Amino acid sequence: MRVVIAEDLALLREGLVALLRENQIEVVAQVEDAPSLLRAIAGHEPDLAIIDVRLPPTYSDEGLLAAIEARRRQPALGVLVLSQYVETAYASELIGEDTAGIGYLLKERVGDVRAFMDALHSVAAGGTVLDRQVVAELLAPRDGATQALSGLTARERDVLALMAEGRSNAAIAESLFVTSGAIEKHITNIFAKLDLPACDEDHRRVLAVLAYLRVSR
Amino acid sequence: MAHRARLPLDLSLADGVRPRRWMPTLAAGLSIGEYARSLVRRLAFLSAVLVAAIWALDGQGYFWPAWAWLGLGDLVLLDFAADWAWRQPRGAVRRVACVWALVGAAAVILVFTWLLTWLLAGVHTFWPAWALLGLATAGSAYSLIALHDRVLVARGRRALRARIDMLTRTRRQAVDAQAAELRRIERDLHDGAQARLVALTLQLGRAELRVQDQPEIRGLILDAQREAHHAIAELRDLARGIVPPLLADRGLVAAVQSLAARYGLGTAIEVDTYRGLAPAVESAAYFVIAEALTNTVKHADAQRSWVLLRDEYRALAVIVGDDGCGGADPRGSGLAGLRARVEALDGSLQVQSPRAGGTVLEVRLPCG
Repeated sequence: MRVVIAEDLALLREGLVALLRENQIEVVAQVEDAPSLLRAIAGHEPDLAIIDVRLPPTYSDEGLLAAIEARRRQPALGVLVLSQYVETAYASELIGEDTAGIGYLLKERVGDVRAFMDALHSVAAGGTVLDRQVVAELLAPRDGATQALSGLTARERDVLALMAEGRSNAAIAESLFVTSGAIEKHITNIFAKLDLPACDEDHRRVLAVLAYLRVSR
Repeated sequence: MAHRARLPLDLSLADGVRPRRWMPTLAAGLSIGEYARSLVRRLAFLSAVLVAAIWALDGQGYFWPAWAWLGLGDLVLLDFAADWAWRQPRGAVRRVACVWALVGAAAVILVFTWLLTWLLAGVHTFWPAWALLGLATAGSAYSLIALHDRVLVARGRRALRARIDMLTRTRRQAVDAQAAELRRIERDLHDGAQARLVALTLQLGRAELRVQDQPEIRGLILDAQREAHHAIAELRDLARGIVPPLLADRGLVAAVQSLAARYGLGTAIEVDTYRGLAPAVESAAYFVIAEALTNTVKHADAQRSWVLLRDEYRALAVIVGDDGCGGADPRGSGLAGLRARVEALDGSLQVQSPRAGGTVLEVRLPCG
């Protein structure tokens, strides 16, 4: 896997580079701002870009805009956006119409190296990874969605949250300490209760769940 | 005729147009005072012509009518001086004006008398000099005493106004500087301390992978990582309380839209503002809207909720309303905090919340 990193804090950038190299991932370019990121992506054609939301010179949302622009130019590119805070508005913009190869995580998730590597591989392979805080905000009780969501059992809500984060059935089963078969049953129930179209691919499933959560806001 | 009403002899009839006649009449609507004054002026003029005619018929010689003219002129002069003094504003200024009218009239009479003694009697010394000096000194002394307070008060008032201007300006500068500083702190928290803690957890994560076979050390590393995570979360909450990131990154409208979406009230947002807002104004507007929407969610039981941002003359109007149960307490702690925030910007805050009549919060924030 070939990766480009855009992060302005040298300490963190170098840490990430070291981490990726230890895990046999090739870092083809490391940059500090959005224009060099777009140039690096055009030049190296990487599989994945890891991008900080706030980049110089204004330190607002350049990274996010660059990620969207990079995806527009190379739809096959996986982008993993890291941020010090989560904004559902940013998640919605990033996801757009296609969740394939999209990740949006809080920066501190890099501390859990194994989960971070899983997320990285998942996004590069066209999967979707959303931070659990984004999902929690989307699932927070609100007028519109509350009614339909209140029809779900507590366990089904847990499963829904993990689905929205982009986890596979096996990963969901593992984190809830149940069998894959039990998870499949829960998912079938959730899709039936929320009247969602059934689908197999993980990222399509995430899109359906997110579309439901966003529409019912 | 504005001064007429203050004349002591004012027995005025209805205001009318003064007729252009040689001899005025009472029927023309003049007060008795004005009638008498215009009569005196005309009689004086008539007498002056008359004595000149008598002197001419009497075979001329020594020009004695000049003395008669001086006397008649004195009358008219005193009349004008009194009239001018009476027009001055009541109080000390009018008293000083009366003194100066008398001093001025006396000086003119003295000078003209000297002029006649010089022209007619050949007196060459300027004898009124000391008298004029005395009159001027007396007038000045009286003015100084009478107007002393006034000058001091005026100077005090000017100084006060300058001080208020200065305080208003510097307070606004302080508020703006504080807002800019808060944004800088928010940015520093995210990009400084928080980012360094993230780098720390990353290094701890790498270390943890290397000591899989030493559970004791691994446990210590995981504890350290947990602490770092707590610190990061606390810093994030702190930064969000100072300035929500979306407000800092994308401005008021985006932040309010996100806020409204989070509350899920289906809030209608109308934006009619095009000016660039100072950070202090932007933050105040944001926190006003956040507090109002929180109250709507908590207390109002509303069907509809709306936010309006509108440019007004040198101000931004922020109006937040709902159709809920009303009855909000304008002295509640939340609203009091908002009021303090708004008033620090010289803004105004109004709450209308009749029972069962919805709540409307209107805030005006001066800008530019």
